[in-house]
Amino acid sequence: MGDGGVFLFVIALLPFIGALVPGVMIRAGRNACATFTAVPTALALILLMLLAPAVLRGEVIEAELVWLPQLGLSASFFLDGLGLLFAAMILGVGLLITLYARFYLSGDDPMGQFYTYLLLFQGAMLGIVLSNNILLLLIFWELTSLSSFLLIGYWKHLPEGRRGARMALAVTGGGGLAMIGGMLILGNIAGSYNLTDILASGEAIRASEWYLPALILILIGAFTKSAQFPFHFWLPHAMAAPTPVSAYLHSATMVKAGVFLLARMWPALAGTDAWFYLVATTGLVTMVIGAVIALFKDDLKALLAFSTVSHLGLLTMLLGFGTPAAAVAAVFHVINHLTFKAALFMIAGIVDHETHTRDIKRLGGLARLMPVTAVIGTVAALSMAGIPLFNGFVSKEMMLEEAAHTAWFENPWIVPALATLGALFSVAYSFRFIVHVFGGPVRDDYPRQPHDPPAGMYLAPALLAVIVVLIGVMPFLAEPVVAAAVSAVTGTEMSPYLKLWHGLTPALWLSIIAVLGGAVLLWLHRPLARAWDAAPRPEAKAIFDAIMGAAVRLSRMISETLHDGVLSRYLAIMVAASVALGAIAWSGGGLAAPTRTPLPVPPVVAVGWVLLIVATASVVITHRHRFQSLVIISIIGLMISVGFVYLSAPDLALTQISVETVTIILLLLALHFLPKQTPVESSPARRLRDGLLALAAGGGVGAVAYAFLLRDVDAISDYHLANSYEGGGGTNVVNVILVDFRGFDTYGEIIVLGIAGFVIYALTEALLNGTASRRLRQIEYEPDRSRDRHPLMMVIATRVMMPIAVVVGVYIFLRGHNQPGGGFVAGLVISIALLMQYMASGFAWAQARRKFEYHSLIGSGVVIAGLTGAGAWLAGKPFLTSAFGYVHFPPIEEFELATAMLFDLGVFLAVLGAVMLMLHSLSRLARHAGETVNLEPMDFDPRTRAEAEADGKGG
Amino acid sequence: MTAFDLQAILPELLLAVFAMFALLAAVYTGKDKATPLVTWATAGVMLALALFIGLGEAVNGRAFGGLLFEDAYGRFAQVGILVAAAAVLLAGQDTLVRRGLGRFEYPLLIALATVGMMIMVSAGDLMTLYMGLELQSLALYVVAAMRRDGVKSTEAGMKYFILGALSSGLLLYGASLTYGYAGTTGFDGILAAASGGEMGLGLLFGLTFVVAGLAFKVSAVPFHMWTPDVYEGAPTPVTAFFATAPKLAAMALFGRVLFDAFGQAVGDWSQIIALMAVLSMFLGAVAAIGQRDIKRLMAYSSISHMGFALIGLAAGSQYGVQAMLVYMAIYLTMNVGTFAFIMSMERDGKPVTEIAALHQYAKGEPVKALAMLVLLFSLAGVPPMVGFFGKLYVLGAAVQADMTLLAVAGVVASVIGAFYYLRIVYYMYFGEAEERVETPMSPAAWVMLMGAAAAMLLGVINLFGVEGAAAQAAAALVN
Repeated sequence: MGDGGVFLFVIALLPFIGALVPGVMIRAGRNACATFTAVPTALALILLMLLAPAVLRGEVIEAELVWLPQLGLSASFFLDGLGLLFAAMILGVGLLITLYARFYLSGDDPMGQFYTYLLLFQGAMLGIVLSNNILLLLIFWELTSLSSFLLIGYWKHLPEGRRGARMALAVTGGGGLAMIGGMLILGNIAGSYNLTDILASGEAIRASEWYLPALILILIGAFTKSAQFPFHFWLPHAMAAPTPVSAYLHSATMVKAGVFLLARMWPALAGTDAWFYLVATTGLVTMVIGAVIALFKDDLKALLAFSTVSHLGLLTMLLGFGTPAAAVAAVFHVINHLTFKAALFMIAGIVDHETHTRDIKRLGGLARLMPVTAVIGTVAALSMAGIPLFNGFVSKEMMLEEAAHTAWFENPWIVPALATLGALFSVAYSFRFIVHVFGGPVRDDYPRQPHDPPAGMYLAPALLAVIVVLIGVMPFLAEPVVAAAVSAVTGTEMSPYLKLWHGLTPALWLSIIAVLGGAVLLWLHRPLARAWDAAPRPEAKAIFDAIMGAAVRLSRMISETLHDGVLSRYLAIMVAASVALGAIAWSGGGLAAPTRTPLPVPPVVAVGWVLLIVATASVVITHRHRFQSLVIISIIGLMISVGFVYLSAPDLALTQISVETVTIILLLLALHFLPKQTPVESSPARRLRDGLLALAAGGGVGAVAYAFLLRDVDAISDYHLANSYEGGGGTNVVNVILVDFRGFDTYGEIIVLGIAGFVIYALTEALLNGTASRRLRQIEYEPDRSRDRHPLMMVIATRVMMPIAVVVGVYIFLRGHNQPGGGFVAGLVISIALLMQYMASGFAWAQARRKFEYHSLIGSGVVIAGLTGAGAWLAGKPFLTSAFGYVHFPPIEEFELATAMLFDLGVFLAVLGAVMLMLHSLSRLARHAGETVNLEPMDFDPRTRAEAEADGKGG
Repeated sequence: MTAFDLQAILPELLLAVFAMFALLAAVYTGKDKATPLVTWATAGVMLALALFIGLGEAVNGRAFGGLLFEDAYGRFAQVGILVAAAAVLLAGQDTLVRRGLGRFEYPLLIALATVGMMIMVSAGDLMTLYMGLELQSLALYVVAAMRRDGVKSTEAGMKYFILGALSSGLLLYGASLTYGYAGTTGFDGILAAASGGEMGLGLLFGLTFVVAGLAFKVSAVPFHMWTPDVYEGAPTPVTAFFATAPKLAAMALFGRVLFDAFGQAVGDWSQIIALMAVLSMFLGAVAAIGQRDIKRLMAYSSISHMGFALIGLAAGSQYGVQAMLVYMAIYLTMNVGTFAFIMSMERDGKPVTEIAALHQYAKGEPVKALAMLVLLFSLAGVPPMVGFFGKLYVLGAAVQADMTLLAVAGVVASVIGAFYYLRIVYYMYFGEAEERVETPMSPAAWVMLMGAAAAMLLGVINLFGVEGAAAQAAAALVN
């Protein structure tokens, strides 16, 4: 990196550094503020001029700093002819605007803030034109949107200013985001995000299959920024900004960024049919539409805004032609448009400032009151009209020349005709600007008596007007700059020949038609304007608002139908999505042919199946009757247990059946306190939807299971079968898995079970102190329920059953390690025995006879299991490693003792405690609900009756 | 348990022990009066652990026989989770107390959820994965319904629980299929079983349903249904938590499962993830446009952002993972700042969440409004805010992986999405004159807001070095 490179960094950074100053300088006064804005701009301009000779010679100055290399982003700048042209324009006009704004803004406006935003914007613009990395360019691109948002919104008290700011940001910011995609694709094709590399690989880009998407995305960015049809509507609405902003952003710089980008990307993207039809057509349409609308605008700034739209269209069209000659015209017109349009905006601002109105209908005759302003304005407007001796004429001629021999879909006259039409309207509105504002008699009803402003205010436009005339008379003055810029655009050495007189070319005739037609149009303006106002026409802003409104409505519709807050809909969507995912997976994976044959189905099994299905369907049908459905659920559980038995899994069957019994009993007891029926809340349609979804999901899971059952796979069970006896000392694989292989899980589970018991207990406690307590007391029992709640037969039967059940429990516990059973099942069996006891004789009676606190039962279970596991540490083994050995006590036969049995004891105790604690909690609820406490084991005790009778006899 | 095992689990262990100890201590002492102290202590412990993990000696390996992976990827996510959780705790502390929700259990539940998340991101086994996931989820179910006397909060908690249970079920179904066909729950084993050309249908099913379960946690469409309701219903500081640390944890876990367990089958999951990414980006962007409630809007915003992060995963490359991590780090910072602001919004002491309440906010509070402007632009991905770099990263990853269409979809979605962020800015700066919202902030919340906004601007310099760390993390995961 040479000196030039360092200069380049300084130029790019100066505005940003400068932006810090005015904001804090405002207390030092307006002049100081303006000066400190001008200094960095001027410095940058001087540095740029120092680099200019080299660039004009055709050198390219580059500078690069590594930034975020992983991202492909580097702070890399380069200066070629195109960059030089734009940078000079940005800085030069920036300087003039600084001067102008100093006099334009009133003392009440926060000027420091304004200048800060202005410099920020200037820096961003400079960044765009100097970037040598398209990602860096993107960043600066959006930064201009952002700072322009702040500048447009500068006058916050004007409502149209606010709307304008928002629309401008929404459109240009969005366009910039779209461009990211295009840039990424370009970078990927070229293999680098460096602009110079991308421009060099134009061939590859145009040949790529992703050329069109990239082109469209980039064009969206460029067209939104340069206000091309159909995105043109934001620009006129941004005109609510203070005039210096309009002059700077909306004529000279920001809106040209899109044109700049088109020129920049020209070597990489231009030259295809897609480019021509997209870019040139858009430009042509924009040019004509903008010019037509401009003629009928009464607001001075709106007229200029639409004129700007039209001229931007012209530039876009020229670049779209894709020929070097058109590129020359485009580059030259960029300079010319900048000079006359910036001057015109400033003049419009002066008129507004002096008369307090921008309404053309209320103006006229200003030539005599504001002669200096009128002269400058007229010069600039004549250039805009394309009158000879002013610079607009030369470039317009070149444009018409190019248009004259361009065919559109093989149609040779449509482009020249439309281009001439655009030029014609352009002449008309330019003349209108002159005649209706400065011409005519002096009026006596101006909102404020106008006179020429202080020199500081018209100095800037005057300077621009001088350039307008200079280039207009001696176009060759601009040749070196144009040559350098065009060479950069086309990527080949070019030396254009700019001159005033080209001879009697077709373009000249077209030009003459345009001028004459324009004059006629202006003459007819009044009736035409009336017709225009009466004619229905699409208002772009209304369309924009309508689209936005529709977007909001669509969005609400989506979010309100999708997220209406109904849980069942959410569940339905989730289940449907899961089924869909499953289907995708099913269709994606290759399923090997079945390797197993299905087992035969004997009639008994078929009956079981039918029973199972009928019961399941019944649950769905009767689910509103809670007791009924619970009973049917128990049938399902039973059938599953039977299924386990049939499929040679007695252990699972035993566990299933005992768990089933306990849960059903507990649920029955709990349902006692709840409504007996579920209210109907769903429509038939929803039930149908849910039914179908359920069938799909269930069917899917079933199908997957069936498919896998038909195939041999390496499953984990082989390992367990092989190691159960050798490693765990048990032949009951399920039990060995529970207490040994996955002992840790079981240990966790009993803790969870215990906690569940405690939580239910604690919740009951909380419920009884809360509002639920009142509701419980209000429960009214049905009158027809049995008065004999603790019947004699039941009490006797459970008493007899009790010791048998306990013995069975102990038996199941002891055989657990080798035969179906184990601590878990044993705990449940004994729980069931106790449950029956409690149900038969009433809780209070039974409670008085229990020997253990249920809390401590759970606790000791967990502690025993834990200690057993920890015992393995003593033997130097990991936690929960089991050991086993064989013991022989005569006269009993030799039997096996495993530490797992001790662990199983813990499981047993915890299960028993948890179940009983749940029962205890339920009984507390019951007593609260007005259940009487019985102190006798049965309601009708024959013994006591006998005694009573005996007493009666005795008494 | 070897010394290495202990070293690997030490941060989780310390945080869990702290949470349990603090729970007991608070119960036996001041209860809710101790809330500020407990909150600051919890945040302090989290930050200390983040420093410990981030700056401590990096040791890589498998702990507990492969149950836990100790690597740069896990450490990156853990640091992010810890810092985000601590930041949200501190930012929300004052608001919670003012809303009468200053319960001492809250910071401890957050701490336990954080333990779960830390386990999730370093899980090396379906078992540990599920354990971490459920520890996190259970704590979150509770905090979602923390405002027990509010109908919306309890309803939100209930919905979250039921849908969460369903998603856990899906995940478990997938995990058991995987276990059945890989013969192991360890990621290394699954990786070995899934490699070698064609992956069996059983494993494919397992993968699919594990993905479905995880998609719920990152709230990717179509498993996102809970997000708007829970975001709206939960107290705002809780919403802030939902939007930050758990999202990173779930996303990191997603990456962990996809690459460490199914890394040989990129082709099988890449398309599904890409589809989810596109759906999430678009649904989030489109549905947010019509929102009137800023919390619901942030819910859709986070759905959309998760879509972008998923692009990184869908790319299936090391660069993609790096992009996802960078994106998530940026996302966390933006959300911490934004929520620090949202939770302070109130009028007459009552929380306000309508977007319309922000009309002309900038007039009264220019500094905070500017900070929000920066954050919202960053959320929209507008350069030069750091949010743009995140988007650039993931889109770049997609383009590099030859998923250009996905990148283009992302660009279009970001254009749509930008609209609603800009709308808020517009209201703040140019809205109609209406009764303005007040935003009293504790110093902590103010620091979060301003810090996040400053980070969005200053981060452009070098992304605070996150890039390098993310690159290391991605390398650790993918290789």
